[in-house]
Amino acid sequence: MAEDKVFLDPTVGWILLALFSVLWIGLGVYWGRRNKSFEDHALAGRNVGLALGTATAAATWITSNTTMLAPQFALQLGIWGMLAYSTAAFGLILFAPMAKRIRQLMPHGYTSGDFFRLRYGRAAWAIFLVFTLFYSLTWLVSMAMAGGILLEALAGIDYAWGMSVILAVCVIYTMRGGLAAVIGTDFIQSLIIIVGICVTGFAVLQNVSVSEIHANLTATKPALLDVLFPAAIMAIFNNLLFGLGEVFHNNVWWSRAFAFREGVASKAFLMGGLVWLPIPIAAGFIALASGALGVAVPSADMVGPLVIAEVLGGVGAVAIFIVVFCSLASSIDSLLAATSDLVTEDIWRRLLHPSSSADNLKRTAQWVTLGLGVLTWLICLPRIGTLATVLFFAGPLVGSMIWPIVTGLYWRSANTVGAIGAMVLGASVGLYFYFAIGFYVATLIATAVSMVWTLGACALAKGRFDWTRLKEAA
Amino acid sequence: MTFSEGTLSVLIYGSLIWCGLSALGLAAMLIRDGKSGEIW
Repeated sequence: MAEDKVFLDPTVGWILLALFSVLWIGLGVYWGRRNKSFEDHALAGRNVGLALGTATAAATWITSNTTMLAPQFALQLGIWGMLAYSTAAFGLILFAPMAKRIRQLMPHGYTSGDFFRLRYGRAAWAIFLVFTLFYSLTWLVSMAMAGGILLEALAGIDYAWGMSVILAVCVIYTMRGGLAAVIGTDFIQSLIIIVGICVTGFAVLQNVSVSEIHANLTATKPALLDVLFPAAIMAIFNNLLFGLGEVFHNNVWWSRAFAFREGVASKAFLMGGLVWLPIPIAAGFIALASGALGVAVPSADMVGPLVIAEVLGGVGAVAIFIVVFCSLASSIDSLLAATSDLVTEDIWRRLLHPSSSADNLKRTAQWVTLGLGVLTWLICLPRIGTLATVLFFAGPLVGSMIWPIVTGLYWRSANTVGAIGAMVLGASVGLYFYFAIGFYVATLIATAVSMVWTLGACALAKGRFDWTRLKEAA
Repeated sequence: MTFSEGTLSVLIYGSLIWCGLSALGLAAMLIRDGKSGEIW
């Protein structure tokens, strides 16, 4: 489909790409001038306010999947599909009280790796690093690949060029500006995305009423309106648990918990989740309108742009291009920053160079960001088409970490045996069922096994953890 | 049993209005943080 038709003139696409690239890099360089130390670079000085905090929580969670896959979910799984996608917001909402707890327990913490090292020891820390780095790199690569594919499909920009430009732009402003640049640009990107989705949604409704959409679905695809659509209801549980596991473990979210000002973290994550909650529905319903509008959909994954471009013409194509570009940038920059901080803090500083100075750590984080960008670029260049599958493959790894993290934050009886067993056993059993049955049960099973092991280990534990051990000096 | 037209209307219009209010809320919060010197 991408080869057959593009929605936007390539010249317009390149102009938009150039304008936004200059804007993001300029802002990254400007905000980067505030950064004097690794703490400034990695955690924006631990002083981020509520507005930026809320926006960055929402924007980071709005990936290109949210704007492109939500319509596909709606087209294939109907109303439950949109609602299932929305449940990912609960990852942010439930992380809100945890973020407050993290800030209290670890006032000098930098990464989620710090928590595993101090709470469960080096063996659990090593397993966690393998799991989270695998997941983060997979997510990063899938986002960069999606960037190249979407820019090519939307504006005819060659895959290699589109992927290279979007990755290079994110690497440059993240290197120069660190988390401050990421959070600052996230605010602008979140507003652009939300307003773009809102305006295009109402514009589509000027061309077709809800009554017509409902009547068309009733006549042609009644399953999409079915209250008891089994596949869609299964998708709710899978999405919910994947969302919880991703947010609870990943340094993308932990680094924000450390970066937000005292008293801001829980409010920001709660409001970020609430901001995110309606977006899959607002972006997804457009797919349900395709039948009533008479738009042919040869490729389900491009249904959103197809409908918008068909109904709104050139303006709609520009809007969807900008929304998709912002969605991609807001996730890629966060992953680059959080993963480079994890490598710098957990591997460079804690394993290799414990006496590194603040300035040395800041420079290291910048070089690691560049290295991650180059590695991602090299993996993306051959355009492997199976990374979505690999991302689902990471589901059991992510799900197996939920219980060690939650119990480790709240229960003194949570222990190393419980954490290691939960991660190894949960991930192994989950992966077995990933191949034996399918991706849609793998995360659920991994989480269940991990839960049983963790709770059993807590019940049998004799020792009690001393919370002050988490207050390690920076 | 199927979702009614009313439910679909509430979901669609509700989500779009929610998005609009979220954008306004974020902008208002930034102004408030800016006035009190608490952006970052």
